[in-house]
Amino acid sequence: MPKLKLSGVSKAYGATVALRRGDLEIESGEVHVLIGSNGSGKSTLCKIVAGSVRPDSGEVLLDGKPVAVSGPQASRALGIGIFYQELSLAAHRTVAENICLPDMPVSAGVFVDKVTLEERAARYVRLFEDVAGEGFSADAPVNSLRADQRQLVEIMKALASEAPVLIFDEPTSALDRAQVDRFFEILRDLKKEARAMVFISHRMDEIFAIGDRVTVIRDGETVGTSRIAETDPAAVVRLMVGEQDELAPQTPEPEQARTTTREVLLSVSGLSGPGFVNIGFEVARGEILGFGGLHGQGQSSVLRAIFGAGLVSAGEIMLKGERLAARTPRDAIRRGVAYVSGDRGRDGVIQGRPIIENVTPIHYLRNRLTIARPSALRDKALRALEALHTKFATLSHPINSLSGGNQQKVVIARWLIDRPDILLLDDPTKGIDLSAKADLFALIRKLAEEGMGIVLYSSEDAELLNNADRILVFNGGSVTRELTGADRTRYNLYHAAYEAA
Amino acid sequence: MSGNMLLEMVRKPLVVAIALIVVLLFLGEALSPGFASVQQILRLLIVAALLGIVAAGQNLVILGGREGIDLSVGGVVSLSAIVAGNLMSGMDSGIPLAILACVATGAFFGLLNGLGVTLLRIPPLVMTLGMLGVLQGLLVVIRQGIPSGRAAPALSEFVTRPFLLGLPGIIWLWIAIGLVMAFILHRTVFGHRIYAIGSNEQAAYMAGVPVKRVRIALFMLSGIFAAIAGICLLGYSGSSFANVGEQYMLPSIIAVVFGGTPLAGGKGGYTGTMAGAVLLVILQSILTTVNIDESGRQMVFGATLLVLMLFYGRGRAMRA
Amino acid sequence: MAAEATLIPRKTSGLKRLFERFPFLPALVILVVLFALNGFYQPRSIGLVGITGLLKTYMPLMLLAVAQTYVVYAGDIDLSVGAIVSLVNVTIIVLMQQWGGEALPVLGAMAVGIGVGLACGIINGIVVAAFRLQAIVATFATSIFFTGLALYVLPVAGAPAPAAFWRTYGGRFAEIPFVFYVVVVLAVLLYLLARTRLATQLLAVGDDAQGAFQSGLPVTAIRMKGYALCGLFAALAAFCVTGDTASGDPLVGGKMTLSAVAAVVLGGSALSGGFGTVVGSVIGALIIGLISSLVYFMGTPSEWQNLVQGLAILLALMAGILVGRRARA
Repeated sequence: MPKLKLSGVSKAYGATVALRRGDLEIESGEVHVLIGSNGSGKSTLCKIVAGSVRPDSGEVLLDGKPVAVSGPQASRALGIGIFYQELSLAAHRTVAENICLPDMPVSAGVFVDKVTLEERAARYVRLFEDVAGEGFSADAPVNSLRADQRQLVEIMKALASEAPVLIFDEPTSALDRAQVDRFFEILRDLKKEARAMVFISHRMDEIFAIGDRVTVIRDGETVGTSRIAETDPAAVVRLMVGEQDELAPQTPEPEQARTTTREVLLSVSGLSGPGFVNIGFEVARGEILGFGGLHGQGQSSVLRAIFGAGLVSAGEIMLKGERLAARTPRDAIRRGVAYVSGDRGRDGVIQGRPIIENVTPIHYLRNRLTIARPSALRDKALRALEALHTKFATLSHPINSLSGGNQQKVVIARWLIDRPDILLLDDPTKGIDLSAKADLFALIRKLAEEGMGIVLYSSEDAELLNNADRILVFNGGSVTRELTGADRTRYNLYHAAYEAA
Repeated sequence: MSGNMLLEMVRKPLVVAIALIVVLLFLGEALSPGFASVQQILRLLIVAALLGIVAAGQNLVILGGREGIDLSVGGVVSLSAIVAGNLMSGMDSGIPLAILACVATGAFFGLLNGLGVTLLRIPPLVMTLGMLGVLQGLLVVIRQGIPSGRAAPALSEFVTRPFLLGLPGIIWLWIAIGLVMAFILHRTVFGHRIYAIGSNEQAAYMAGVPVKRVRIALFMLSGIFAAIAGICLLGYSGSSFANVGEQYMLPSIIAVVFGGTPLAGGKGGYTGTMAGAVLLVILQSILTTVNIDESGRQMVFGATLLVLMLFYGRGRAMRA
Repeated sequence: MAAEATLIPRKTSGLKRLFERFPFLPALVILVVLFALNGFYQPRSIGLVGITGLLKTYMPLMLLAVAQTYVVYAGDIDLSVGAIVSLVNVTIIVLMQQWGGEALPVLGAMAVGIGVGLACGIINGIVVAAFRLQAIVATFATSIFFTGLALYVLPVAGAPAPAAFWRTYGGRFAEIPFVFYVVVVLAVLLYLLARTRLATQLLAVGDDAQGAFQSGLPVTAIRMKGYALCGLFAALAAFCVTGDTASGDPLVGGKMTLSAVAAVVLGGSALSGGFGTVVGSVIGALIIGLISSLVYFMGTPSEWQNLVQGLAILLALMAGILVGRRARA
């Protein structure tokens, strides 16, 4: 009998279906991997088990008995502990307080029992003692910690629940190698204690290192479960992506032909700022320059700095032979620079507003308009949206009514009414579906052919290899390698990304 | 299904407000015949216009988000009424200068608020609360030494006497403000930018919206609208007296909320706020009509506000 | 960002920690400066009599600022605290009139007063936390309701408090002014409350309400308890008001609400919640008191006093926020 079983669980937010049909079975003493692309419904499934999301339908069985998870408190009482991907920490409280927050030890019924609290917290802090890094201590406030250290605190908080069922929703995304290894040792110990665990990660090596079984979710539906020992990464990826197994046609034609008429649009030299040092590169008309490397090696900071949204401490940026020293995105946009962020919720989408208002702001700015005439802009907006095959009802529908991929298309479309000279793409396909990705890359190549200079940073190697003419590999805030022509192989990219800076 | 649609309708703040206004008019008429007479309704609308004009500025600041709120409007209303009263001191010839001076005063204090909120990043509640204290102090200074001013006859006439089609000038002014607000919010780039910064400031910034300038403009407009309301208030009451504006501070916020603009900003509009202002004024007026003590009146008013709020912008449940 | 955190030199991070732990430090500096200035312009103001007078007059605001702090901890706000003060004030005045001015009836009236304060707080808690109304407008509505109740209890100001009551508040025991005992009791009370689980939970809710909820904290109940605590301290503030003014007034507290909010901000607490101290709020209330006495002692013409006071408070508010942010950044 499985320890925890979910069957036919679903959740929709208005028109957006987050989870269509989630099924999952976890045994005691196993690490059960849950995998699926971003937005496939993994987190929703976890949150339903943890009680923080109310399911529309479906059943949760614990030890074979149906249970009602009416809220996070009820979930804890049932013996379910969870690590939240977005963390659930109180920033101004200490590490120890956060670890014990869900169940604070009290004396005399009302006072915090500091001694017990510190003892209990110390037990979990000790687990990561030698890998937590500088500045980590039980009495440090959480907002003084680095991202990886915060993630450790959330892990400790989940462990402190001592629950028989533990759910870890992407617990390793910010951890370094040593921290991950320690975490896995702990998971192995917990396995011996017959705990049932769910583990979510996007790193294939981690999944095969720690998992016992793997369940794949695609577009909100459970598509299959297999034993890790009986499968391989390729098979898992096939399950994840379904029929379409490649996202874009292979390598476009070599760029040698164009180098003769090379006109440099953007040239960056000696650029330094927070998170990057002495960056230099050129982007020619019609070129797609790729930024590669592990996540967070300065790629994003460089792009934002060029766009005027990040700090520059030294160096020069030239746009079409003139100095571009954008202090704000506004300056950069006026000069013909465009930027698309992968974090559309934060940097792109103007929530709750009609699609038309999400498409037009750049047009207004570049043409210095003061009166907004939606009817006059209709055709322009429709053409831009059409170029990306955006699916939407009408221009006056709120942008929230669209799926994630279509929202990102709307955000990109705002740059297409008045063509920029340079398009900076900062991991633009994060969390959008495969067909939207294909539409996007088809458009990017078309824009390049029409003469736009494009810088593409992507956290997915395949996207870079398939679309970029050249790839600069970032490591530790500087460019450590340039891959051109036949050098653009997965092996070279991987090698350059992982070598010590 | 039709029940659902009905529920959806009822959730629309503007529909709720207008329905309640009608209900309250009938109720008022039942309680005290003559309540819903044209004369009475006109008087109510004049009072509502005063509140509504203050609420226009409040509405803009709230729409701009980032906990936008302007607690200093009451102070500006009072100050403007006194400045206008002293400058016109009962003479029509003083009107243009008075209007100019008041609008400049309102814009100036709005500018200070806006600069504090944007450049120094002081939370709006704190900044405008502090400014309220300054304005109240300024009122004392101005009132000492200078005899209290009087409204110009033309101004009083504009506010209280029928002007066109039987409606007083102030109601026409309010309608005009309503049209201008609708135009600004829906047909100007500035208006779209207000919604954009209220809804997602970071995304607006990345799309080239001059976030700080827009927000400063909102606070200045709030000051200007409060100043205009102050002038009209002078016309309504005939002479300026201390702290007349204080009564507008929190009601202007409530009118906005009843109009369907949540305090979080980014959505809503002024049409609803106008209905919200009328609703508030009618409610107060009904309570003065019925024969109960001041204490009972306040209790009923407070409780009714709470019940009405249950219809509007309740926060999201923790567990969705 | 990760690199930055490790690059910051030790000294700075020590200062940062100090501010993190004692967010009222900027306020304390302002307080000391104001105190010195008061002493410079009027040496007697910093003597025993002067300080006793200051505490007597500003004890209600100190308590009310403390009351407000507990809701601000959780990111809420209570604009009805002044109305609660009025309601409790008239309630105990009327009860003491009816029951007599002896010790037992007075204590009984105070017990009822505490109950009234708590009840008001709980009503606010229900309205804001359980009904999920927006705190600013909802507590404004309850303040109208409470004011109505106060007017019902005592329609016009002026009913006197029994002599025993205000003589105690303004008197001395064993040569030490009574307000100093109040200060000691308040200090102990605040010390104990700071150590409760509730205080930590309120701050955790203010930091990230959704996170706290997902951690399994009963967020609604915690916020309601914050409002109840606020009502309780508002009742205590009302006792001091009654002791200071020696009479009942159904509108006495109205003006205090916004001053209490200002005091909380002056004390370094963040209105967005999650960060702050009650000690800071007490200091904030004293700053407001010292500013107004300083303006008086400096010989400011009477019609200019309010303006100078308003400007000084605005500047102190801005300075506190800017210094606090600089220190913690």
